[in-house]
Amino acid sequence: MKRTNDFVVGLTVLLGAAIIVGTTLWIKQADLRNKHERVSARFRDVGSVRVGAAVVLRGVNAGRVQRIELGRDGWVEVTMALDPDVELPKDPVVLLNESSLFGEWQATITEEAAIPRDEAVSRQIADARGAGGEMLPGATLPDIAQLTAVAGRIAGDVASVASRFEVAFDDQAARELRGSIKNFATLSAALAQTVRVQSSNLDALSADLRQGMTRLAGSAETVQRVAQRIDSSTATGEVRRIVDDVATAAAQLKEASDDVRTMSRQLGRSQGRLESLLSTTDSVMLKINAGHGSVGLLVNDPALYRNSDSLVTELRALIADFKAHPKKYVNVRVF
Amino acid sequence: MIAAIGRTFREGVEEVGRAGGFIAESAGASRDVGTWLPRVTMHARMLGVDSLPIALFIALFTGIVLALLASYSITGAVPLYFVGTLVEKTVTMELAPVLTGLALAGRVGANIAAELGTMRVTEQIDALETLSYDPYAYLVVPRVIAGTLMFPIVVGLAMVVGVAAGWGASVMLLHISSPDFVKGLRLFFTTFDVRYGLVKAASFGAAVTLIGCMTGMRASGGAEGVGQAATRAVVYSAIMILVLDAFWATVWLLGKSR
Repeated sequence: MKRTNDFVVGLTVLLGAAIIVGTTLWIKQADLRNKHERVSARFRDVGSVRVGAAVVLRGVNAGRVQRIELGRDGWVEVTMALDPDVELPKDPVVLLNESSLFGEWQATITEEAAIPRDEAVSRQIADARGAGGEMLPGATLPDIAQLTAVAGRIAGDVASVASRFEVAFDDQAARELRGSIKNFATLSAALAQTVRVQSSNLDALSADLRQGMTRLAGSAETVQRVAQRIDSSTATGEVRRIVDDVATAAAQLKEASDDVRTMSRQLGRSQGRLESLLSTTDSVMLKINAGHGSVGLLVNDPALYRNSDSLVTELRALIADFKAHPKKYVNVRVF
Repeated sequence: MIAAIGRTFREGVEEVGRAGGFIAESAGASRDVGTWLPRVTMHARMLGVDSLPIALFIALFTGIVLALLASYSITGAVPLYFVGTLVEKTVTMELAPVLTGLALAGRVGANIAAELGTMRVTEQIDALETLSYDPYAYLVVPRVIAGTLMFPIVVGLAMVVGVAAGWGASVMLLHISSPDFVKGLRLFFTTFDVRYGLVKAASFGAAVTLIGCMTGMRASGGAEGVGQAATRAVVYSAIMILVLDAFWATVWLLGKSR
């Protein structure tokens, strides 16, 4: 019985321990046969990467993070166990980044040319490469917390702008904006009307232009015909006669010009006489206005005018009486 | 009333003192290796191997229910492979040790208390003392050592069965693919999870066997006293398991998370 107990308990303990240890190693993906290839990289900070995190190459799990330890000069050295037959890309670098939104991190091995265009990442890579040695250069990408912090700051700025806009956009501003919109609508209508008018004008202009072009084309044809006639005239001697006629006309034109020049000189002299006459007349008129002379006295003295008028009246009465009674005044006697 | 309070306090202190004395006696008796060592495997089989069916049965259904519960709880934005994570963490660190410990508290604690209580009321323990046997070395130490060693084995197997049951339930009932479940299983797994669960299980084993032995050795008054001792053993063991669970969480988990 005692031996049976010993055997059963021993078997249970061994089997139980083997199952527990084996399951733990399987879940942990322990490398018992040590067939993995080790690659190390250095970082300034490894974020939340832990031992056992996945190592990804071109999107495929290619190993696990095996060891993380602090190195010299402020570096953190990460040793990765890569699966057998994994070929590293040309000029490899290691990026530590979140693999999901739930806090999982992974190490991504990629070409340096394929890293994100980020100044901080490039600086980390250059810094790690500058440290020398056989370790791969590494960089840590910002995690979700950092990104959400930046997003939070942006949201705060947007909220600040929105609040300022809310303060600035009061009732008066709204009324003014409404008025501006109304004015803009009016302006748009006027512009549309103008555009329509200008469009019709342009249409008319275009039609005129088209008509002008048609006429120009006709004129061109006419010119062409004239040219053809000139060609034919040249051939028949008409041009010679035309030139002779033009010379004759020019001589006659010259004679006419001489006559006009003579007439112009005579007109100049007449103008001088006229000016002399006008000055004389002006002098006479001045004297008359000044009351000099008989005419001046007659024009400027009312009494003299009245006497003259009375004289004229009396003369008329005398003439009338003379006509009525000629014998009273004329006594003709013949013998 | 004041006297009642004083009496209760005095009885509590006496109980703690008796427990301390019992533990000290047991520790002293552990030096008598020749007496307790041959009896360890017998108790290990009775306390551990024979408890495997009930422990694995509990773990099986715990794993299935936990997978379904996890799936129900994390629908939405959380990916389903976290079912594996939740099953692994919960089964390994909490449910397998505590549920198995509570089940064994009923089975093992009551068994030990009843057996030792019967020996006490039938004066077999007195007879052992008369025969120059140290009852602690002969009766208590092998049981405590067997319980302390076998509880982790039982709990460890319960962990494996619980996780496997959760895996099977996820694949068959929740239509989560095996790679996805394994991905979640491995996502946040550390060997600390297993160590934490096994150390807790060992402490539960020691507590359950010590309480069973103590209540049984102090039984009196015939069959009724034996029954009361068995009841007290189960109740005290269950309480002590929960207290130790909180103790380890406070001391170890809290210290690790800081």
